[in-house]
Amino acid sequence: MKFGEWVKTLIFYEILMGMKATLTHLLHYKPITLQYPHEKKPLPPNYRGMLALLRYDDETEKCVGCDLCEAACPSRVIQVYSAEVPGEPTKRYAKEYYMDMTRCLFCGQCVDACPVDALGMTQEFEWAVYDKRNLQLNKQQLLAIGDRAFPVREKRIEFQHPNVAYFNVSFGDIPQKDA
Amino acid sequence: MAESNNQDLVTLTVDGMTTSVPQGTLVIEAARQVGVMIPHFCYHPKLTPDANCRMCLVEIEKLPRLQTSCSTKVAEGMVVKSNVPHVDEARKSVLEFILANHPLDCPVCDQGGRCDLQDFSHQYTPTTSRFTELKRVFPKEYFSPLIETQMNRCVQCMRCVRYCDQVMDVKALAPSGRGTLTEIKHFSAHELDCEFCGGCVQICPVGAITSRLSMYDFRPWMLKRTDTICTYCGDGCHITIQKKQDELIEVNSTQGVGRNNGDLCARGFFGYHASVHPDRIMHPLIKQQDGRFAQATWEEALELVAEKFQGIKTAFGGNAFGGLVTSRCTNEELYLFQKFMRGVLGSNRVDSSARFGHVNGTLPLLSVQGTHRWTATFEDIVDADALLLIGTNITETNPITGLKVKQAVKQGHAILVTMESLLPARGTISNITLLATHHLPVRPDHYHIAIVGLIKSVLDNGLVDPGLETRAPEFFRAIKAAIDSTSWAHIEEVSGVSREVFSQSAHAFSSSTRGMIIVGQGVLRSPRGAEMVTNLLDFLILTGRHGQPGCGLCPLAEENNDQGAIEMGATAEFLPGPIAIGHHDTRQALSKLWEVDLPQEPASSLMEMFRDAQAGQVKAMYIVGENPVESLPQTGKIKEALESLEFLVCQELFLTETAQLADVVLPACSYVEKDGTFTNTEGMVQPVRQAIDPIGESRPDWEIFSALSVVMDQPMEYGEARDIFKEIRSVIPGYGLVGPVATRPTPKVDVVQQYLQEGFAHGLATRYVCTQDQPASDTPFLLASTQSLFHSGKFSTRSKGLLQIQSSGAIMLNPSDAKKLGIASGDSVCVSNAHGAVTTIARVLNRIPPDVACFPEHFDQDIRCLFELHIDKESHVPYSKLTWVRLERVEKGDV
Ligand code: SF4
Ligand code: SF4
Ligand code: SF4
Ligand code: SF4
Ligand code: SF4
Ligand code: FES
Repeated sequence: MKFGEWVKTLIFYEILMGMKATLTHLLHYKPITLQYPHEKKPLPPNYRGMLALLRYDDETEKCVGCDLCEAACPSRVIQVYSAEVPGEPTKRYAKEYYMDMTRCLFCGQCVDACPVDALGMTQEFEWAVYDKRNLQLNKQQLLAIGDRAFPVREKRIEFQHPNVAYFNVSFGDIPQKDA
Repeated sequence: MAESNNQDLVTLTVDGMTTSVPQGTLVIEAARQVGVMIPHFCYHPKLTPDANCRMCLVEIEKLPRLQTSCSTKVAEGMVVKSNVPHVDEARKSVLEFILANHPLDCPVCDQGGRCDLQDFSHQYTPTTSRFTELKRVFPKEYFSPLIETQMNRCVQCMRCVRYCDQVMDVKALAPSGRGTLTEIKHFSAHELDCEFCGGCVQICPVGAITSRLSMYDFRPWMLKRTDTICTYCGDGCHITIQKKQDELIEVNSTQGVGRNNGDLCARGFFGYHASVHPDRIMHPLIKQQDGRFAQATWEEALELVAEKFQGIKTAFGGNAFGGLVTSRCTNEELYLFQKFMRGVLGSNRVDSSARFGHVNGTLPLLSVQGTHRWTATFEDIVDADALLLIGTNITETNPITGLKVKQAVKQGHAILVTMESLLPARGTISNITLLATHHLPVRPDHYHIAIVGLIKSVLDNGLVDPGLETRAPEFFRAIKAAIDSTSWAHIEEVSGVSREVFSQSAHAFSSSTRGMIIVGQGVLRSPRGAEMVTNLLDFLILTGRHGQPGCGLCPLAEENNDQGAIEMGATAEFLPGPIAIGHHDTRQALSKLWEVDLPQEPASSLMEMFRDAQAGQVKAMYIVGENPVESLPQTGKIKEALESLEFLVCQELFLTETAQLADVVLPACSYVEKDGTFTNTEGMVQPVRQAIDPIGESRPDWEIFSALSVVMDQPMEYGEARDIFKEIRSVIPGYGLVGPVATRPTPKVDVVQQYLQEGFAHGLATRYVCTQDQPASDTPFLLASTQSLFHSGKFSTRSKGLLQIQSSGAIMLNPSDAKKLGIASGDSVCVSNAHGAVTTIARVLNRIPPDVACFPEHFDQDIRCLFELHIDKESHVPYSKLTWVRLERVEKGDV
């Protein structure tokens, strides 16, 4: 055994080398673990969190009840019951709208499918509940989520371009369907 | 269809595939046969080609430019290419032009998901458009409560317009405007008023015309389809019921499928909600001491019924029971009902609603030619070269048979002779008399004398089949003698039709080789119905058309399974088959099969049952789906008869007037909730399939019969409706074993021979004698209870769609009469006679003949009291469709 090697053995050189990174870290220590829920990580803007239904700037619901989200959803989260808007003949909307969030896999297919951008994915993720039933959301709940998550709203589609001026509008001089 | 095998075949190549098709085939059809689908909008196999959309362009070798395959006929050696790049280019540009003006509001369009424009756009165009110009916008117009239009979506293919004209002959739609600004409108200033057949809704390739009844309730991919048969008339149309979960959404039909070949009438298309009406009986009901119904369990109800039935049977014997069943039931149920009545209760008092008229058609057919069915089919109507319609009001009663007649006349150029109480006047619905080559306007009570007139012209003009006189000299002489007793002067005076018109009609009919007679409710449901049908059979024999291919006499069935009711033995005079009730061998065979002794007592029909009930001989009745208290006039004393019963069981969908009188009410299922078969008017046995779960605790009728028999310890147990059908087949060999077309029985030679030798003499003394009911001077109007196109019985008056077209009855009058009485549409009018007075609303219609007033039977609850009941001595049919009244205006209407 050479002298050099003998000294290295004596002072546990390999171990020291192995611990180098650790020991250096010890000197300028900076914690990585976030102290959730006291600390929160900023989310990327395209984060796919809790789903929400949105409104136009005049508070009307965007959803036209076309059922495309229901058709697009791979895990059958959504159920839409469409109808004519009461008091607004020929205009279509979702009379009832349900999401069973226990099954959602946050793929965003529904958001993609929606032709009128009535669905949005919020940054909300803190939805742990004691009772699974609290994850069955109805239209009012989903709109409320949208209201708090998307304060900036679009103007009505009819006002966006003359070619969509007659998209899903109501005609007051026509009787209601089941009148 | 008359497609002979030696027709010239043409060989052509489509996209490299060679095929042979008959000459005259369109290229688009030839391509379809080799599996090449050429995109198209304006082409439809039912319509004449219009070639206006240019979507179907293909390349045909040796022809300059691209050709429209929907209007080009095949030629020998033709080489068609539809998959070459410049055809694709052409399609792309056609679509681009359409889309330039199309709103693309697919998300809210009910066609989205099954739209030709959507599909073709996905297939042929990019998702972006080069057009930035503004799109065309039509002002939105209200169309009708049942049909919605969105003209911005129209591709101007004119299919709807052509369908309404060419197939329906209604002509309610028309294009207005030019070029891209063409818009489809209806003619009237107010909302659409037409036959509401739904044809335009179904034929529109895009979402420009949709159903308002199901608007926004569904998306096509959510729908589950059930192929079944319509319940509203004897035509037996094939319908597809579409449901979402357990909600009925819409009804469709399919081109090329069913006896209706994709056409429907308003009842079939819009009437489907009757089954889910909120008034449906949900639970068995048992009447309490205080006369009110209390909800019960099935066990309680069935045990009570079984106990009472047993008690009455022990005390009074089987003959103390009467049974009445509606012909809206399936064959299986009708069979099981008569088996229950005859086998379990031991009573020969069984009848069905076929008694109200259909037996008047079947009995003469059986006695003259030995068949209980038509000797022709719908196809024969289309191929006929002469058609004689008598008292059919075919558009309103049997609309699809009506379409076959229209097709025969419009496409086959058949001679049409109509003997109808309609005037040939254009109205909001089609009128068959307008298509007639010869029209004999006959008052509803004059069919008999008009038929005699027609036969007299055959004899007087020497139109008799030359061989007949030698073949059946007695027959010929006897008929001639019977006819001669009525003079032309009398016929002309009473019927109001001149001798020339009779002669021309007789000439026209006898000059044909394929002549058919279609007989409707005007004959079958009026006094002497059976005699008139026998006379018409004489007419067929005299003209030599009897027994010839494509010829025959066809009585139209009003209810969907009238024909089945007779074939299943659910009428007094028949065992299943139908075989006469006294037939020894059949009785033996049935006894053995059912393991019972069949009752010996004479059979008694509907009216005899009520008579005997009042006399105390009938102690208990089992009424399934019929409402005699309402459908027969008060003078029949039906209510009194039912009240005098010891025990009444009603099996019903709704708590009708009759059911109110019952001791036990059992909730039954409608046609959408059960399996089985219906037999249509031409004898085609077709499967009915369950679309939705039974409403409430209701059960199919056959299950109830079966359960009851088990509780009564004489079990008739079946696992499903099909097991009953198997038993029916063992009783009637080969029953319902048919292909896509009904088999046509031919008249039995021995029966016809027997009829010509001596059978004709039966009733001859009376059946050519014209009696005349003269109006009293104070009741000058003949009030007829008629059918409406928009309803069928009273079941359809529970359907919200049909109620939006017609929600109440109105007394319909001819304009000249209305003028005389100072009545206008909308006025309230008092209709009265010795039996009472009723106030109703008037409606003035050009098609109603003078001195006649019509009222739809579906809303006749109040007006029923004015009618009397006559009972046919021979066929025991109760007649109550005609009466004499006087009319007075009471108050001016608001319109
Ligand atoms: S995110 Fe995906 S799984 Fe969740 S509702 Fe939308 S489509 Fe369904
Ligand atoms: S959320 Fe969008 S996709 Fe879903 S029904 Fe409403 S409009 Fe249609
Ligand atoms: S007609 Fe077809 S393409 Fe047009 S909006 Fe309706 S579904 Fe879309
Ligand atoms: S309404 Fe429909 S069927 Fe009629 S022309 Fe327009 S697109 Fe064609
Ligand atoms: S009512 Fe008669 S004609 Fe109309 S759809 Fe039904 S079966 Fe066909
Ligand atoms: S389908 Fe041939 S031109 Fe329209």
